Formats: sequence, structure tokens, C-alpha cells
Amino acid sequence: MKNIRNFCIIAHIDHGKSTLADRILELTNVIHTVSKEPSLDSMDLERERGITIKAKAVRIPYYARNGQDYILNLIDTPGHVDFSYEVSRSLKACEGAILLVDASQGVEAQTIANTYLAIDAGLTIIPVINKIDLTNIMLDDCYLQLDEMLGIPSEDVLRVSGKLGTGVPELLEAIIERIPPPQGSPDEPLSCLIFDSAYDSYRGVLPHIRIFAGSVQRGDRIMLKSTGKVFEVDEVGYFSPDPVVGQKLGAGEVGYLTATIREAGDVHVGDTIISAKHPNTPAIPGFRHPQPMVYCGLYPVISNDYGKLTAALEKFQLNDSSIVYEKESSGALGYGYRVGFLGMLHMDITLERLKREYELMLIATMPSVVYKIITTKPEELYVDSPSKFPEPDRIDHIEEPIIRARVIVPMEFVGPCMELADSKRGSLIGMEHPDGKRVVLIYDFPLAEIITGYYDKLKSVSRGYASVSYDLMGYQPGDLVKVDILVKGTKVDALSYIAPRETASTRGRALIHKLRKLIPRHQFEVSLQAAIGKKVVAREDIVPIRKDVLAKCYGGDITRKRKLLEKQKEGKKLMKMVGQVEIPQEAFLSLLKLEE
Amino acid sequence: MRGLYIHIPFCVRKCAYCDFYSLAGRQHLVPAYVDALLTEARSYAGLSFQTLYLGGGTPSLLGDRGLRRLLNGLHQVFDLSGLAEATIEVNPDSATTALLETARQKGFNRVSIGVQSLRDGELNSVGRVHNAAQALAALAQAKATGFASISADVIIGLPEQNWGTLHSTIGKLVHMGVQHISAYCLSLEPGTPLAADPPANLPDDDAQAELFHRACSFLESEGFVHYEISNFARPDHECQHNLNYWRGGAYLGLGPAAASHLNGRRFKDRDDLETYLRNPTGLVEDVEILNAEAKAAEEAMLRLRLLREGIDVRALATRFGRANTQGLTRRLREMAMRGCLVRDSTRYVLPADRVLVSNSAFAEVLGD
Ligand SMILES: Nc1nc2c(ncn2[C@@H]2O[C@H](COP(=O)(O)OP(=O)(O)O)[C@@H](O)[C@H]2O)c(=O)[nH]1
Ligand code: SF4
Repeated sequence: MKNIRNFCIIAHIDHGKSTLADRILELTNVIHTVSKEPSLDSMDLERERGITIKAKAVRIPYYARNGQDYILNLIDTPGHVDFSYEVSRSLKACEGAILLVDASQGVEAQTIANTYLAIDAGLTIIPVINKIDLTNIMLDDCYLQLDEMLGIPSEDVLRVSGKLGTGVPELLEAIIERIPPPQGSPDEPLSCLIFDSAYDSYRGVLPHIRIFAGSVQRGDRIMLKSTGKVFEVDEVGYFSPDPVVGQKLGAGEVGYLTATIREAGDVHVGDTIISAKHPNTPAIPGFRHPQPMVYCGLYPVISNDYGKLTAALEKFQLNDSSIVYEKESSGALGYGYRVGFLGMLHMDITLERLKREYELMLIATMPSVVYKIITTKPEELYVDSPSKFPEPDRIDHIEEPIIRARVIVPMEFVGPCMELADSKRGSLIGMEHPDGKRVVLIYDFPLAEIITGYYDKLKSVSRGYASVSYDLMGYQPGDLVKVDILVKGTKVDALSYIAPRETASTRGRALIHKLRKLIPRHQFEVSLQAAIGKKVVAREDIVPIRKDVLAKCYGGDITRKRKLLEKQKEGKKLMKMVGQVEIPQEAFLSLLKLEE
Repeated sequence: MRGLYIHIPFCVRKCAYCDFYSLAGRQHLVPAYVDALLTEARSYAGLSFQTLYLGGGTPSLLGDRGLRRLLNGLHQVFDLSGLAEATIEVNPDSATTALLETARQKGFNRVSIGVQSLRDGELNSVGRVHNAAQALAALAQAKATGFASISADVIIGLPEQNWGTLHSTIGKLVHMGVQHISAYCLSLEPGTPLAADPPANLPDDDAQAELFHRACSFLESEGFVHYEISNFARPDHECQHNLNYWRGGAYLGLGPAAASHLNGRRFKDRDDLETYLRNPTGLVEDVEILNAEAKAAEEAMLRLRLLREGIDVRALATRFGRANTQGLTRRLREMAMRGCLVRDSTRYVLPADRVLVSNSAFAEVLGD
């Protein structure tokens, strides 16, 4: 066990984590050829968005300069702001972390947030400046930032080029020397942490585990601590990077097991696996159930696809137990699901994947946070959708979730970032100046403001230089009202939204204006209204269409005509009928795009 | 009733809006093309037709010799003794006296003139090769030649067109004595120069609709019947050949891009002149055979264009079988209830104010 090292790489997107991991795998002959695709993150979509959601672990045999054989376990950590709990669980599985910083970019907010998590978890940090082969690097700034922001002395910092391999052998040696070996006895009862899981249609849920004490092998009876459910182990093994079936996993080791666990809901990241023989083995601290922060309605465009959507969500949850869903029905959209996500990005990616991998045409409604409503009774309600709001006269007051955000931004963009924060109801808590070039802005925001286009806006006002991390702080009362949208006199529940009283009407007007452009002209006039309670705050009318007809018959080519009509009809199928009005899918998300 | 359509894919120059299959500057191929048409015709030898329509392209580019040779050939291959209507499309710049007289001699009793507008500016703006004076001359000549029916094509929505200019064009046509007017709304067809670079002064859809509705009222007040979405005729001057299309009738189309409907089968010749010249019978493609239910729905969709006749569900049920028209009948009934159609016992027609917004009705009649 003293020759095992468990570590992860903390890095901002594009700072070179995957490239460095590949270089390490090549140097240690785990992979032989220079593969074009980085080995750690496998999902195309994530590559497109530049993030890794699913952590995995690779076992790396390493023959060190001191003549000894080591086993390095490289555990992947998600890099995005929505996944801090998942990150904390991956960190928990390690004794050390490589803090990787792009020499041309410097330290970013999420990296700092994750480094703090690592320090809090007692990990040894190996600071590494990457991409030193580049010419436009700012080494001194990086040193200064590491020192000022994280208290890391310059002499501890390694310099590498993941691309060329420069400094990587020294990094491997540093991993051996600096990171302590895992503790824990193989003779104690089993205690292991689930830091990730995957799903395999033959073998069921496949938890990725780190063993802290005891050992596990085929035939063992194990128990999931949070539920008390017992399973028999079918197989244990590890990834290198393909799965390798092993005899046994012992204290300090990292790998996976299978135990014919069919319900994804049984396996939660952060849960502890113990031996069924020792049910009183304590849980590894820090476990919590996934806590969705953002909810939206998901509806099939074609109502017959409801079953397909159900199956897709079920399957999806097998690989990502952090999404939650329950049945929902909407007057406008029919039957669908209310789905909860860890954050906006998690939502975007999940929706994309549902559409792509399951070939589903989906309508997603405006994302909503979970509001706390104190009724006049009084009682406390947690409400994840505007349509579930009680009648106004039953509401005493509404509270909304607040987050504390750390925004790191180069000096020259501080102004626009602060303006953006103002427009998003941010309140400035503090400012730090780590290195004379960048500013750390600490803001409290209503989460609702962050999920409606904040990231994209922040990136655009800072030309991509600002980065942000956040923590949930709790609930605060807000002067909020529900705005209803009426299309031709019919309330469209899926378009209702919650807004602060002072901006509710302005937003209503903007939304109505946007909808007027999105909803096609019909054969009759379509009125659009925004209303707070009974009071109409905005109105526009879509005038009837005057021309929509196929003209000349092309030498009697009826087939072509019919096909044109059928194509047009296909287009219509993508719209939702509300009363007699056809509403295109984009309309349901248009509140997000008001500022464009 | 069976119609014969012959496509003449030649034009002096391509108009800016045109996506019909026709090629500019290939008139030297006319003799070879007539041979090819006759070769294709022979593969259907012995068929009889009640209407003939020579369309294009620009059929007047056949010239009097080409036209004579074509008609002589057709008479040998087909039984044209029962021909009730024979139309030739001509463009003003090539509608020579010799051509019109030859047409008359060869049995054409109807001529359709590509007038489009009687304003030189409007004609110019979309690249038409003729001017207003030529159009008027062609009309006069057609009249003098003694055609029983003269039709003029008019485009609605030309750049800078307004009711004043459109009114003057249509007014003159009526005054000149045409018995039939086809009024098409200009549309930006993908791939055409007009769509690639639409002029700023193009009337938008609303303006087009306005022009169209005014043209309708005017023509109706002049005694024309609005019998099909784009077509107006004095009583008994409706185009029989086109009516047959909308009534789901049979027709044979010869030439590249010509479509046919024979024995319930729809097919067309690929739009490829060069190959056609080499192998006139080898271009048949897109063969489509619909089941009776779809066929009934298709015919209903077509008949909806006939603003007076419309759809008679009883007649359809008799022809296609009640089982195959049940769904259709239900759709029609529902549409009538919503005001999308007007019902008169078993007959359904488009409401007059929905003529220009009929696509959704067509689509709905077609069903899923
Ligand atoms: N010049 C240079 N580029 C690098 C280096 N490491 C990574 N890159 C580039 O930086 C980009 C992001 O690298 P990647 O490993 O995918 O980053 P990740 O998002 O952190 O996994 C890619 O275009 C890499 O080719 C390096 O050491 N030097
Ligand atoms: S004359 Fe007719 S067929 Fe020829 S290019 Fe012009 S519009 Fe097209």
C-alpha cells in the first residue's frame, strides 16, 4: 500500500488536463500510440462544450527512479461550476492533487474553488504551470497568483509542457515523493467510497470506488450504507484505461465493482459501501443526496413520444443519478416531466444528449429555481415551477435561493462585469486584488438570475476572460411576482415566469415582443398578453397572415406539390398547439434570450 | 378525359425569378428535340387525348417549322381526333405571325401569351426579354389569327408594382378582349437570381395579397369567373387542360421535367435535356403509386383549388370507395366547422377570403 498514489488533476477547461493525462499515460506505457482523442473524457458532447462531467479513474503502473514499482491512480474530476459536490467526492478519493495552470492564462475562479476544496479535504497539492512551450506566457504572474490566491510558494511550483512532455518525468517523481501513500488497514471491515458510477446494460450499475479499509472480492456481500440495500459482488476490477477484471481490491486501491445493481437510484456518488457482515461500519462523511438547483419542464414535441421520453430519462438517470424527474402535465404542452439539474450547464448538456442520443424532439420550458413560499396560513412550500405557485392571496411572501459567486476578471473588464452584476440583482460583498492585474469580485446573486443567461453574458462582456465559481448560501425574501402569458386569451402555463416586481413588466413587454416574432402568423389575429394577476402589463397582436399558397403548377407536377405541403406539415408538427395557435418550440425558452 | 402536355425547355434568356426547367441559348437544338419528343411519344403510341397543351419554357421558340413537324408527328402517333382544346404558350417576342398562323392551322384553338405586365419597367426589372408594345402586338395578332380563346399571364408582386400599374395592365388586357387571365404571385424560388439578390422595392407578402385581392374584385366586376386560385375566365373559357389536372384526371407529359398521371401512376421525366436528346424514353423517374385512400385525399387537395367546383365527397366516395374516403370526409367536416371550408351538402369549397392562405387547408385535407 505504501507504493500506491491516488491523485487527480485540478484545472480550468482548456488548461491542458487531458493532454497532460495522455502524456502521463504514454510515458508509463499505459497507452502506446499518441491518440488524437484524449483518453479520459469520452463524451463527444463534453468535448464540444469543453468539459468533463463523468469522473473516471485510470490505474498507472510506474517504475520510479528509486527502483521501486508504484501504482498511480489518476482520478478524473469534473471541471465545471455545477459539479462542486461531485468534485468534492472525487477529491475525497485522493491523497494528492495536481493543480494545473495554463501559463498563458493564469489561475481561474473555478480552479481556485476546487483547490480550496482539495486543501480542505487534506490533499497534498502539487502546483504545476503548463504550456511552458508557448511564447506568450506570464510565468511571473502565475507565480504571484498562486502565492496570493492560494498561498503556494514559488519554489514548490513545477513547470511542464503537456504537449511536448517537458517536465512530465519530474512531475511523476514529484507525485511519488510529495503525495503520501493511502492509509487504512486491509484487515478492518470494508469501507469504500463511491466517487462516480457508470451503467452497463449487462452488468447493471458500475460504481467507481476508492477503498479506505478492508477489501472486496467476487462473492462478497456488500451493503450500500445510505439505503441498507445488500448486493453480492459479481466482479471487481480497475480501468487501465480499459476495464481489467481483478481478483480483489484492497485498502488504498481504486477501481470498480459490479453486483447486478439494476436501479440507478440505489447508487449515489458519495455513498459508502460496507460489508454486509459489518452493518455498523460508519459512513464516510460528506455524503448527500444530489440536490437539484434548476428545474425545467420537458415535453415531447409529438405527444406519442411520451413513452420514449420516459424510457430515455430512466436510462439517462442510470449514468447520471444527479438528475431527478417527476411527471408533470401542462395545459399547453400536455404530458411531460419536471426535471431537476445541478445547474444550468448540467441542464444544457443533458438536454442536448437526450435530443441527440435518443433522437427525441423535446420542448424545454424556462428553467426555474426552487422558490420557498410562505403562505398566509402560514406554511412553507418549496416550489420548482411557476405553474405550481399558489394563488397570490395565499402567499405571504416568497423567498428565493441566493448564491455567493467569486468572479475573477482582468482589471480592464471590471466595469462591465459589475454592470452585468447590477443588472442581475447582484450585491457586492467584497473585492480582492491578488496580483495587480486581476480582480476577484465577490457577489451575492439570486440563483434565478444566474440561470438566465449570466454565464454567456459574463463571457461576452469580458471577452472570455472572466471566470466564476459559486456556492449556495440559502434563502432570502424577495419582492417577486408571477407573470402569466396569454395567447389569444388562453393562459399558457409553460410560459409563466417569476420576476422581481420592479422588472416584471419590462420583461413582460420584451417577452411579448419576442413571442410576436417567433409565433407565425395565423389565419386569424393572435393576441399576446402578459399579466400580473388580472392586470395586463403588455400586449401585442399578431396580424393574420395574408398569403400562404402554392402557386403555379409545374407542368402538372402534383407529386412535387404534395411533397412541398408535406414538408410544410412536418414543420408544423414541430410546433405545439395551444388552442388554435401554433407555438414553435423556441418560444418556450425565449425568456432566456430576451437580451439578444 | 386525358390530356397531353408537351414541355419545350428553351428560352431566349432566363428570367430572374424563373425556376421552371428551361435553358437559354439552346434553340439550335430544336430540330433534334422535336425528334426526341416524337421518339418518346411513340412509346405511348395509340393513346387518344382530348386536350393538348404545349408549355414551357417558350414553345414559340419551336418556330413555325418546328411546330409543324411536331404536330404532324403527333398526329401520326396519337389519336387526336377527339381533341377539344389545344393550347400553345407563346412569349410576345417570338409570337410571330407565321408561328401563330401555323398553330391555328395545326389545330390550336387557344393561345396563352406570357404578357406578365404591360409596364416596361416592371418587365425589365425581372429580366423579361419583351416589352409592353410587343405584348400588345402579340395579343392583336393572336386575335387576328382567330383563336377561340386567348389567355394572358400576369405576375403580381413585380418590383415597384402597385395597384395603379397592375390595374392598368389587367385593364388593358380585358379591354383587348382576352377571355382568360392567369395571375401568379411572384415568389422567390431558391436558386434563382431574384432570390439570391431580391430588389428592395419588391412588394412583400401583404402587399402582394392586397394587389391580388384587388385584381380579383376587378376581374370579377368585369365578368370573369375566379375558377381556380390563380385563374380567371369568362364563362366557358376555363382551361380544360388545367381543369383536368385539378380534377385528378389523367395526362401524359412529354419532355424533360414533364409530369404524367396515367392509370393512377404519377411519374416524370428527369429534367436533363442532354440525356433526353440521347435517350428520350430513359428519363422516367419518381414513379409513385398511392393507395386508394391517399389517392382520394390527393384528389381532394387538388380539387380544393377549384374555387367553384370544390370537392364533392359523394362523388369521391363512389369512385374510391366509402372506406377510403371516411377519414377525408371527417377532416372536411371538421374544417368546415372551424370555418376553414364552406360546405354545401356534400360539396366543400375554400372560403373566398382564404384563397391566398390555403396551404394549411391543402395540408389538412391531405391528412397524415
Ligand atoms: N502549447 C501547448 N498547448 C497545449 C499544452 N497542453 C495542452 N495544450 C493545448 O490546449 C488545448 C486544451 O488542452 P486539453 O488537454 O484538451 O485541455 P483540458 O480541457 O484541460 O482537458 C488543446 O488545444 C491542447 O492542444 C501544452 O503544454 N502546450
Ligand atoms: S420565359 Fe418563362 S420559362 Fe422562360 S425563363 Fe422566363 S419565365 Fe422561365
